[in-house]
Amino acid sequence: MRIRAIIYDHLVKYFFIGILLTSCCLSSRAQDNNLVAIGNQIGVPSEIKMSELKAVFHGERQRWGNGTKVIIAMIKTTTPLGNEISEKIYSKNGEEVRGFWAGIMFAGKFDAPNVFNTEAEVETFVSQNPGAIAIIDKVVTTADIKTILVGGKKTF
Amino acid sequence: MRKQKHQKSLILAILIILGIAGDGFGQNSILQNTHIRGFMEVDAAYHDKKMTFGFGEQDLFITSQLNDRFSFLGEAVFKYVPASPTEFGVSIERAIVKYNYSGNNNLLLGKQHTPINFWNDTYHHGRVFYPTIERPLLFPANFIPLHTTGVAAEGHDLGNIRFGYNLLIGNGLGSSDVANNDERVSVTAAVHIKPVENLKLGVSYYNDVISANATVNDRIIPVQVHQQLFTGSISYFGKKFELLTEGTLALDKTDSTGTQHDWASYLYAGYRVTDKFVPYIRLDNLQYGSGEVYYIKNNTRSYIVGMRYYVDYLLVLKLEYQNLHTEIQGQTFAVTFQIAVGF
Repeated sequence: MRIRAIIYDHLVKYFFIGILLTSCCLSSRAQDNNLVAIGNQIGVPSEIKMSELKAVFHGERQRWGNGTKVIIAMIKTTTPLGNEISEKIYSKNGEEVRGFWAGIMFAGKFDAPNVFNTEAEVETFVSQNPGAIAIIDKVVTTADIKTILVGGKKTF
Repeated sequence: MRKQKHQKSLILAILIILGIAGDGFGQNSILQNTHIRGFMEVDAAYHDKKMTFGFGEQDLFITSQLNDRFSFLGEAVFKYVPASPTEFGVSIERAIVKYNYSGNNNLLLGKQHTPINFWNDTYHHGRVFYPTIERPLLFPANFIPLHTTGVAAEGHDLGNIRFGYNLLIGNGLGSSDVANNDERVSVTAAVHIKPVENLKLGVSYYNDVISANATVNDRIIPVQVHQQLFTGSISYFGKKFELLTEGTLALDKTDSTGTQHDWASYLYAGYRVTDKFVPYIRLDNLQYGSGEVYYIKNNTRSYIVGMRYYVDYLLVLKLEYQNLHTEIQGQTFAVTFQIAVGF
């Protein structure tokens, strides 16, 4: 009886430890997929592959399919979100991304992205500029902004 | 009571005026989107048994989005010119109006960097972006035409292999920036692919006829020269390894000397030890045909060992040792330190 109780106590303890560990993993996986691509309702596609999204943010697309100019909006790479976007999209840190864009602009290959201090400013800019695309960390759908599915998913 | 009512009206009026004015002050500029940046470098060197300090070109770089399809790029440098009364001169290095007519395809009109190789098409005059302190030796040897004023059709990142092209027709060697010196034009045709991330493979062809007695790079060329340049480039700038190697074969044909074969090449390799620190080497080789009349025949070999440190993406420190052997000057060496900045 006593042995059974001890075993039962251990099982319960490890069961809850397991639940805790699992929930930590689940929430970190959720954090790993917390980026959202948003775009102006005009010109920007509703769905895009990850490889295409990266190409856009590397200045490799001047126009969307309907001819609307691609306009990139970014939150500052010195912010935690900006740094996360830098790693995920560019495989670089924030400072390296700034260097990347300085070189691209200096070579005359592409316009530098429009950079903002807050997500609210990014959203406002995207809403006001046909062809504008940005990456933030929440789903947004308004009359002027769409959430773009990346590889079929809202978050990546 | 009457005084309170008057005060309320006054406060309301002030608030209304501030609201209207605030809306005007808070607006983005109604003018086009124009940016001005600058680049410069200062250096210290030890060579020819003396310590010397100097500075390079001050580069002003201007871009402006004129409208949805047209943009402008201008680059002017202020540099040391010993012959000038003030010892300094201004040069327009690039002045380009670009028209994006479809997708990733553009037309460019104006003075451009001849898209003959990776270095010339990528780094221009911004030494903060250079992997080494100075350009490869084929540049100061005037082996390739640095600039061409003309019209170009270019495209980039087309298809799965990210194909790019550039066809430039312009004033030939011996011309001024604003007028061709003869009835012939120069033609530059370049293509490249980027089959995998960070890797770019390119080839180009340049064709020009330099008129007899034309002045090119401050030298009078006594005879007509038909020049063809064939260039191949490999560039890889990854997270850790960096490789850039280019070679140009020049075929210079004259009636008196026949076709001379000249070769210029360099190889740069770097390894990013940390995000900020990159040691590197560069090898340069220039070989000229024995009867060459267009180039100054000065066979050259050089190796450089150096390091690059990024204080910031627009503040880069570089230190190099160079061992140089030229046909004319023999063996020399130099140690150079540079601070390259962008602002």
